[in-house]
Amino acid sequence: MAERAERIVIRVNGADRTLQVERSRSLLSILRGELGLVGTKYGCGSGECGACTVLLAGEPVRACVTPVSHAEGRAVTTIEGLGREGALHPVQQAFLDVEAFQCGYCTPGMIMEAVALLKKNPHPTALEIEEGMVGHLCRCGSYDRIVRAIQLAAERMRT
Amino acid sequence: MSAAEPEEAPGHRERSQGLTRREFLHATGGVLVTFAMSGARGLFAAAEQTTGVDPNAWLRVGQDGRITVFAPVPETGQGLRTQLAQLAAEELSTPLSAVEVVLGDTDRVPVSEVACASEALPTIGVRVRQAAAEAREILASLAAEKWNVPRSAVVAKGGRIELLADPAQTLGFGELAGGKRLVRRLKDPAALKPANAYRTVGTSAGRVEGLSYVAGKARYAADYRPRELVYGSVLRPPYLGARLERADARASIGQPGVVAVVNEGGLLGVVATRPDLGERALRLVEASWVGGTQASAASLYQDLRRTAVLQEEISHRGEVEAALAGARHGFSANYRTPYAAHAPIEPEAALAQAEEGRLVIHASTRRPFLHRQAVAAALGVPETTVRVMAPAIGGAFGGKEDPSLSVEAARLAKAVGRPVLVQHRREEEMCWTHFRAAGLVSLECGVNDEGRITAWACDVFNCGGRDAKPPYEFSQQRIRSYQCDSPLPQGAWRALGGLPNAFAREVHLDHVASELQQDPVALRLRHLDGNPLMKHVVMRAADRYAWRDRRPPTGLGVGFACATDAGSRAAVIAEVEVDRVSGHVRVRRVSVVQDSGLVINPEIVRSQTTGAVVMGLGSTLWEAVRYEQGRILTKGFASYPIPTFRDMPEIEVDVVPSESQVPQGPGTAALCAVAPAVANAVFDATGQRLCELPLSPSRLRGGK
Repeated sequence: MAERAERIVIRVNGADRTLQVERSRSLLSILRGELGLVGTKYGCGSGECGACTVLLAGEPVRACVTPVSHAEGRAVTTIEGLGREGALHPVQQAFLDVEAFQCGYCTPGMIMEAVALLKKNPHPTALEIEEGMVGHLCRCGSYDRIVRAIQLAAERMRT
Repeated sequence: MSAAEPEEAPGHRERSQGLTRREFLHATGGVLVTFAMSGARGLFAAAEQTTGVDPNAWLRVGQDGRITVFAPVPETGQGLRTQLAQLAAEELSTPLSAVEVVLGDTDRVPVSEVACASEALPTIGVRVRQAAAEAREILASLAAEKWNVPRSAVVAKGGRIELLADPAQTLGFGELAGGKRLVRRLKDPAALKPANAYRTVGTSAGRVEGLSYVAGKARYAADYRPRELVYGSVLRPPYLGARLERADARASIGQPGVVAVVNEGGLLGVVATRPDLGERALRLVEASWVGGTQASAASLYQDLRRTAVLQEEISHRGEVEAALAGARHGFSANYRTPYAAHAPIEPEAALAQAEEGRLVIHASTRRPFLHRQAVAAALGVPETTVRVMAPAIGGAFGGKEDPSLSVEAARLAKAVGRPVLVQHRREEEMCWTHFRAAGLVSLECGVNDEGRITAWACDVFNCGGRDAKPPYEFSQQRIRSYQCDSPLPQGAWRALGGLPNAFAREVHLDHVASELQQDPVALRLRHLDGNPLMKHVVMRAADRYAWRDRRPPTGLGVGFACATDAGSRAAVIAEVEVDRVSGHVRVRRVSVVQDSGLVINPEIVRSQTTGAVVMGLGSTLWEAVRYEQGRILTKGFASYPIPTFRDMPEIEVDVVPSESQVPQGPGTAALCAVAPAVANAVFDATGQRLCELPLSPSRLRGGK
């Protein structure tokens, strides 16, 4: 039996969005399909690759396995909402400076996770970064650069 | 448009993209550089200062002085666009920011058969560079005529042509490119800049897509959102090779969100307003299937050998059988490499939509022209009515080639009269694309009293002969490639058979060295006198690592291997730690020395080489497509683990300075060499000689 659509309000990148959607639908499908926020990527649909990572009330979640109902009345931040006043977030800037990507597809998810990681731990060691990022896959193999970018962002954010 | 500002969704702003290539070039004018494709001198150019042109233009100097490069191979993450821009900027002595590179759009780029990204630099890169040099010569001669001085009295500088005698006098590229109609055919190819004059080539200019990647603005095929967009889900067979015999899809019709159910010509697709609703409706289809295979991975290598037919004798020198029989020592072994998946993080996608009487497709593909051809054939329309564009691509690694998804999207879009996006779910990406061919390599060699390998016999089953020819000099050698009935669909994969063949050869040499108590590097050097470039790479790697003085701590092992692929040469030294109880291998350090010819962008070369090591480690330690009775069991990242943050060794990449003017693909040679280097290191650590990839813990558990 088909689930009925309901009115749900979520706060996305600082603006309240009123949706008429089924509560069980994935946050990823809402962001991409309903709100056109296509910077958040589909990679596996089962929370194994991290490409769809967004912040929900500041915590990183896998949008592909998060029902939109979990976001009701809470703040969602996607890659599109990370920068302030046209400037890149320090983590985005560091990824750019270190060139911590090849194809760029896993990059938004990596950046969102890194933002959350640095908020919790502003002085991470390389090992702590690797452990914190381990659920994110990069098939191009840019892992070493991603670690370096997060270290660089941490340094810049401290000063 | 620059890559940093991704294209608008189709049907919104980009009206000019509805133009054919010819119309586009007509409309924009300027100096165009095209190549006559006939004759031995493939790079002989004709350049026109005109509006009407032939469709082979590779480079345009616009009336605004900006340079546009048109090249056929899409950007899959290897930095091709950036490197082509650097080559063009270099030859034209113009700022990098004045160069835009259009890739992989069948309406705007020349047709090319180059499909392999690792071949793009030495072929397309050389051509773009030549086109830029031709354009520079045209502009310089136009300026010289204007000033009534010889060509030698002017020089290109900072995007302008300057009079040498009076540097205050300059003419902009745009001024020179505009104006009267003029056709020039150059008698000889323009000379390329000498290496000592490089300003842009050899610098680590940032990737032009970088900003769009980190801002989340890069547009991949599934990111376009045209009005009226609907989603296609296609019924996949339950086991390999099965064909749809009959399907009853009545139950799917009228399900929530379902726009149409298409059941024709072997395609059963549901078009729905959301992908999840389409998938839900698709599950209600009752289908019967015919044909297909019942093969299982357990009998893979027997299956290959049983069905082998000699395909090609790659090399035959001397009396190999006699030399083997008469050798002082003989060594033979079989080496096995299973099927591997590309497993890009972006699953393949294709969006098809009608636009002004034509069909426009955005597809995550390395081969837009192949897709155009297949779509036109499937719909029975001329190719000119189909346009295929490859936008940002989330990794390909030899995949993203097969046109099936574009054809499905096109057929569904035609059926419903709306734009249709078909994107693989992860499971489809893992099961219903082609794989890297599994390989069985049978090696036998003979060694004489002085420790020289005098005979080398190599039979390659199924994975093809890429790099099967050793970089070494063996006085007698015979190399044969056998075609087999592959139970799984197979095709291009980063370096193709390069990895299975390098694994076999380099492990075998390590085996010979250890049996004869020789140093494995010294054994290789003894056979590299005829290959000075490879010899240099091997010696450099050994020196850097201080190979001769190596003293790995207890429990650690060190292994060496080298490989050539796609014109690059790599030597790899790997350090591993093996847990004797669990059999778990931890690679702690990988040191690479690589020669990939002319280095256009050192950071890109290092990044590509590091990525090659990482992907190679996946093949070495974990990756194998498992299948049973025709069903693929490795359907996602849980069952098909790829390298993660936690698995990363320390990776050092040393790029050899090269005299060559030709750039080679840097992303494969180290991938081939890392597998045997790690296997040899595992032997060094444990005394166990593993001849089958991946080097899984079950094979190492309970070792000494």
